[in-house]
Amino acid sequence: MRDLPQSRDLMTLARELLLDELLPLLPPERERDAHLIATAMSIAAREARADDWPGEIVGLLNGFYDEMTGDPLGRFAADLRNGAFETSPSRTAAARAILWRMTIEKLREGNPQFLAANGFTGAGVKGE
Amino acid sequence: MAATALPRSDAGPVDRQRALARFLAEASGAGEAEIGRIALLAGGAIQQNWAIDVQIDGGRLAGPQRLVLRCDAPTGVPSSLGRVEEFAVLRAAFAAGATVPEPLFACADPAVLGKPFFVMRRVAGSALGRPITLDPALEPARPALAARLGQELARLQTIRPPRADLDFLPADNGPQARIAEFRAYLDRHPNPRPVLEWALRWSETHLPERPPPVLCHRDFRTGNYLLDGAKLTAILDWEFAGWGDPDEDIGWFCCKGWRFGRLDREAGGIADRAAFYRGYESESGRRLDPERVKFWEVYANIRWAIIAMQQSDRFLLGGARSLSTAITGRRATECELELLMLLDPGGVAAYA
Repeated sequence: MRDLPQSRDLMTLARELLLDELLPLLPPERERDAHLIATAMSIAAREARADDWPGEIVGLLNGFYDEMTGDPLGRFAADLRNGAFETSPSRTAAARAILWRMTIEKLREGNPQFLAANGFTGAGVKGE
Repeated sequence: MAATALPRSDAGPVDRQRALARFLAEASGAGEAEIGRIALLAGGAIQQNWAIDVQIDGGRLAGPQRLVLRCDAPTGVPSSLGRVEEFAVLRAAFAAGATVPEPLFACADPAVLGKPFFVMRRVAGSALGRPITLDPALEPARPALAARLGQELARLQTIRPPRADLDFLPADNGPQARIAEFRAYLDRHPNPRPVLEWALRWSETHLPERPPPVLCHRDFRTGNYLLDGAKLTAILDWEFAGWGDPDEDIGWFCCKGWRFGRLDREAGGIADRAAFYRGYESESGRRLDPERVKFWEVYANIRWAIIAMQQSDRFLLGGARSLSTAITGRRATECELELLMLLDPGGVAAYA
């Protein structure tokens, strides 16, 4: 129902305009600002087209706890603080898997270059 | 370098310059001081640094002087020393033989510029991280630079309590107290951070033995030292200094967040650890224990994550309209990835 082009395409064009045409016109002390703007635009574009990974993490946590809870992320964080899973190797492994998954998904959106630089090449390119 | 007006809300730039000139003349025992160029130096999210060229007539600094005036930026972050206290730390570091700008005068009187400040000599060089880690011209010099930085760190750690001149520094309560502070911060934050909680739990259950405290810089890293060509000219930014564990600064220096595009070079993005450790061990006479360094590197990543979140809090909670500070909060997740890589190395193969 929305008009075309889609916002993500407009964002991509705007970013190209900023970096390719406006950046060379800026004084050196403002170049970092232009890169920051480009970074913010990239994050916004990736978030706009990303899968519903936060929903998937909530689903994983509900499965982890075997029940629906009101604030699964808050409960998970509190349990990790208290070492709640440390006596069970399988629970520890499952908890770590969720930590990895959540962190990688966040960086896919926020900073895929950092993921790639750390060797997460398969994880880093999704959504780019 | 655009700004040329010294900070103060209730006086114009001319008044401020006159007040500063009077202060410099009085503090140096001169008849008169005439200020020429004033320019705000780049960087300084937490503090402002002003380059000041001044002609001083008589006294102990007679002649043309190139100085830096350091004062608070409009918004700071918690745990930062005041400028007069930072001046005292800088003076102690200078006396200990560390490579720092010579500290000259401190002023606590708000009548001069509206806020406390101190003045030090201006030293040549640049602190920009990426040129330091990536400039090919510096390639041959980097291992020696890393060793030199290790030596510098050992030298500043010769400053140990008790010290009457540093009696404002709180006693070192150890990492357990800092873990409690981090948790208290996370409790106030709207978004739960499971990775940080997990890493804090690991830290709590792997506390190292506490050696006698030393002066920790607490921001000793690439980006906080000046290089003039390949020559180290100054260690900067002493605002977070305090008593602590000698390995805390080692972990911070090697923390991945300060490698500026050279993640493979674990000593500040400039060299491998061996070069940095060699310099430190030769100067301190103390052998570094990799397990202790690991603890402090984990701690460094937690701390950097929380500092990053506090930066974006300035936008989220404080209303600061700054993209630079707002976006910094995103870096917390980079620290979380590093924490996972440090504490669950098996996961790297599984998820990479």
